[in-house]
Amino acid sequence: MADGLRGGQGPWQSTWRRLRRNRLAMVCLGFIVIVYTSGVFAPWIAPYSYTEQRLYEVKRPPTLAHPFGTDELGRDLFSRVVWGARSAAVVSLVSVGLATVFGVALGALAGYAGHWIEAVIMRATDILFAFPGTLLTLFVAATIKPSVLEWVRRLESLTGWKGLARSGLVDYMVVFGCLSIVAWPGMARLVRGQVLALRNEQFIEAASCLGASTGRIVLRHVLPNAMGPVIVAVSMGLGGAVLSESVLSYLGVGIQPPNASWGVMIWEGRDLWRTAPHLVFVPGAIIALIILSFALLGDSLNDALNPRLK
Amino acid sequence: MRSSMTKPARLTFLITVVVLLGLLTTACDLFGQSKKGTIALPKVTRSGALTMLGNDPTTLDPALAEDVDSAVYIVEIFSGLVTLNHDLQVVPDLAEKWDVSDDGKTYTFHLRKGAKFHDGREVKAADFQYSFERALDPKAGSLVAENYLGDIVGAKEMLDGNSKRLQGLKVVDDYTLQLTIDAPKVYFLAKLTYPTAFVVDRQNVEGKRNWTDKPNGTGPFKLQEWKKLELIVLARNENFYNGVPSLERVNYILSGGSGITMYENGEVDVTGVPISDIDRVLDPNSALRKEATEVTEFSTSYIAFDVTKPPFDDVKVRQAFAYALDREKLVSVVLKDEARLAKGILPPGFPGYNESLKGYEFDPQKAKALIAESKYKDPASLPRMVLSISGEGGSASRSITAIVEMWKQNLGADVEIEQVESATFLSDLKKHKYQMFALGWIADYPDPENFLDILFHSKSPSNNMQYANPAVDRLLEQARTERDTSTRVKLYRQAEEMIVSDAPWIPLTHPQGYVLVKPYVEGFANLPMVVPMLKDVSLKAH
Amino acid sequence: MLPYIIRRLLWLPVVLLVVSLITFALGYYGPGDPIQVRLGPRSNPDAVARMRHELGLDRPFLVQYADYVWKAAQGDLGESIKYQGEPVVSLIGRRIWVSAQLGLAAMVIGLVLGLPLGFFAALRQGSWVDRVIVSSSLLFAAVPTFVSGPLFLWLFASRLHLLPSAGWGGLFDSRVILPSLVLGLGLVAGFARQTRASIIDVLSHEYVRTAWSKGLAPQNVFGRHVARNALIPILTLFGLMLGGLVEGAFITETVFGIPGIGRLGVDSLFARDYPVIMALTLIVAVSYILANLLVDLLYAVLDPRIRYG
Repeated sequence: MADGLRGGQGPWQSTWRRLRRNRLAMVCLGFIVIVYTSGVFAPWIAPYSYTEQRLYEVKRPPTLAHPFGTDELGRDLFSRVVWGARSAAVVSLVSVGLATVFGVALGALAGYAGHWIEAVIMRATDILFAFPGTLLTLFVAATIKPSVLEWVRRLESLTGWKGLARSGLVDYMVVFGCLSIVAWPGMARLVRGQVLALRNEQFIEAASCLGASTGRIVLRHVLPNAMGPVIVAVSMGLGGAVLSESVLSYLGVGIQPPNASWGVMIWEGRDLWRTAPHLVFVPGAIIALIILSFALLGDSLNDALNPRLK
Repeated sequence: MRSSMTKPARLTFLITVVVLLGLLTTACDLFGQSKKGTIALPKVTRSGALTMLGNDPTTLDPALAEDVDSAVYIVEIFSGLVTLNHDLQVVPDLAEKWDVSDDGKTYTFHLRKGAKFHDGREVKAADFQYSFERALDPKAGSLVAENYLGDIVGAKEMLDGNSKRLQGLKVVDDYTLQLTIDAPKVYFLAKLTYPTAFVVDRQNVEGKRNWTDKPNGTGPFKLQEWKKLELIVLARNENFYNGVPSLERVNYILSGGSGITMYENGEVDVTGVPISDIDRVLDPNSALRKEATEVTEFSTSYIAFDVTKPPFDDVKVRQAFAYALDREKLVSVVLKDEARLAKGILPPGFPGYNESLKGYEFDPQKAKALIAESKYKDPASLPRMVLSISGEGGSASRSITAIVEMWKQNLGADVEIEQVESATFLSDLKKHKYQMFALGWIADYPDPENFLDILFHSKSPSNNMQYANPAVDRLLEQARTERDTSTRVKLYRQAEEMIVSDAPWIPLTHPQGYVLVKPYVEGFANLPMVVPMLKDVSLKAH
Repeated sequence: MLPYIIRRLLWLPVVLLVVSLITFALGYYGPGDPIQVRLGPRSNPDAVARMRHELGLDRPFLVQYADYVWKAAQGDLGESIKYQGEPVVSLIGRRIWVSAQLGLAAMVIGLVLGLPLGFFAALRQGSWVDRVIVSSSLLFAAVPTFVSGPLFLWLFASRLHLLPSAGWGGLFDSRVILPSLVLGLGLVAGFARQTRASIIDVLSHEYVRTAWSKGLAPQNVFGRHVARNALIPILTLFGLMLGGLVEGAFITETVFGIPGIGRLGVDSLFARDYPVIMALTLIVAVSYILANLLVDLLYAVLDPRIRYG
């Protein structure tokens, strides 16, 4: 049975081994996992509610009771950071996930099918690339949101699922949509490039000769071998998504208060950098570290996938 | 490789070092400059000049100005029939006196003789005719002409494009102008102090395309320079008809910066104090404390209810929400006293302000009792409530977040905050989509009509609460044309009390701020309305 | 080569048309009325209706769009709604110059720091110097501008009183230092990494070893072969960096109070000043495409293997 004709030890296993040997990459991976898990489990981990105010304990520097201090309304910064991790984790995973699914599908289609299908898809990516990313996301987020809200409200009344139209959920949906739209072209281009390179490889021809259908070839042979760069792109993309989400929230068109998001926290603290700098620097440092970790991880993945022969 | 660093590598290294050194020297140069305290500003000459930060105006055309940023400059470059003095009374400007007819509908203005435009030409009544008709011409595209000149007979016809002349304006002779309005509205004169009613020079306006770059106004200052986005310089008008200003020049730095940092560095003479620095400035041990003055603007920030949407269609619910707010705490802790607690609609110092109005004092027991009396009985059975606010930038203001928490703690009511981006917010507001919303209102002219009538009369387009109380309407309509001042004040006070008890609004605060003024600046008046005051400012030797 | 250029150039107006159509549609069907924004909470429905009519905002979609395209082709990008009648072209023109200067300064910083760092990292590949350089340049890139901005402000303006905190005075005014530093440090990573990667790559190539074994003096090796081939990916990066600059500019300009197109973009968006938004989108799109075209052409010039038929 013609399986993915990989010889010897599976390439994934050897990649993983190489990665594990890179201590820096492991540290980054560990950091990311810690932050994301605490985000997902935020309701159970955060010691305080992210909205609970103690108006007489505003802007305190870090103490035992409040490991990161309190913000200008007396809310515990640590809890808010943890809840912010939740936003970041959800937004990045979902939007990059969507972008990857679309990007890979369309890219593979473009690469394998060729002709006018490829042309259409590539022109679409060209156009999306020409748009200034931030402006587009801002614009779309600002203009689309009310319509989405309307639509969700109608859905809510039709199905009777209450709580659907809470504006928090709609915010998330809009952010997911915008970020995915901006990210999928890059993914698609990447995959197409890979597919084009792989099409002519011997093992593909062999599979084809052996009678495998196009779909099977794509799914079982082409894609798995094209995944390398995609994984690296996903890692970088996750970092980028965290950054974009915080920029959107900073400018007020992303996640809205009282839902905590690191971008929102930085906006709220921006005037206070002279007297209470921790309000900006704590969330800022976390954002920076997460992005850095994703970038280093991506780099290491790249090295692990393509070991250099000296 | 043979040696540790091959020759080309060494070369590159050398080049890099040289480049970096070059950069370093340039940097030191610039650092040096800044250490001397002459951090490069746009080229302004400081002597005899007052320097402060300013905002880019959206326009310098008096007929089009809608915002404070533009009005600040316009009132110094141009002028009109009347103006406001530092006590916010209407006083003569280009009109040295005026008579009002017995029926209160015709005003005859006698213009000052010898008052000149900046280019030396004398101002005549015909110039006012041109200016008013131009403002009311739909082609000019003024959004505010209707508000300020709309009471004049024939104004609406002009705005609709059905007439080319303003019927209610008559040029009796070179120095006499007559205006007829549609009803004996006492507040009409106050409206004439606003830029829309200022005089402009026809030849200037119809000359070049961007005539506002070189305006020929009548005000105490001329526009000497306008480097867009960088600098506006006003220069003294030596021929000003009402006393030549003491200041030679006024510099407005438009390119931005931290006002307070620049003030402390001696780069500006006046600045506002941002909330983040209030504590530091007001500290009694700080040298800045003596230079700080409190400033109010005639404004009220509030939370409003759409009284047709449940649960706020029940007055008891509205009142409960009002009682559940601890405004004292809001003002002292969240806003750091950068505001005064608002009990009623009108701000302190405003004509008609009622000091003895009690308003809603913080009383959580009463709040809960009121809910129990309402048709909902229990806070838990209140339907979904959303507070909509407008916002650019990441978050609800601190006070809104604090307020919602207070409702939760004191009333057990769960209110969601919905932050809508400002443009969408405004259009949805006009479509009455919101249950409750938070906004502020700033006075356009010093008359209670501008607050109470415009916001609460059932037929007013700016009544966003869909509030309709016939008794209040009657009072307001009566007050519009009541000519006896004390009766008028009484009518407005009655109306205000009714409105407050009906609670379509929860008045929150009257924002105020602090301004730092250097000790060598004299006569700088911080007024709650945009009023020309630069001509009374002078600089001591320093 | 020429047909390739022509094809790419022909593609430009098509992309612009689609981009402008999408932007226009978003604006037309989106909520938020620019006239109402000017009025604020005040209402004057008659005045609003009148103004919309004057500005032609009540005409059907295609009519407005066609009108816009027609005028744009003649260089008239309309008038700002917020700045009442100010031609969009002059509004943007002023600010583009400012942003361009900022961008240039940031690029210079990125190059001057990035290239040598990448170079050294490549020469010392695998050593701790290499790792430190890679990690620290990544760190710079990872810190978002709305964090590094206040950080630098706090450090240099507030604590050390070394530099002015905001405003703009041109390239040779000290106010350019902080913002271009903030913007430029993010670019350092990209340049450094790319330089490093391409030099490592090139060093390992056959023709370099061949040149060495032939006894060519090292400076010839570097000069002719290494530099040329290393330059190619750096050029790609140039094109991408432009994008990064535009994005970074939004925030940096807001934080430092710089009157550039980033701030204009954000302000116009919130004011629904559609003529300005559309013009900005078009201009940035054109710059991207042209920049990338230029980069691709330079590729072809530098590497004879890559010639487009």
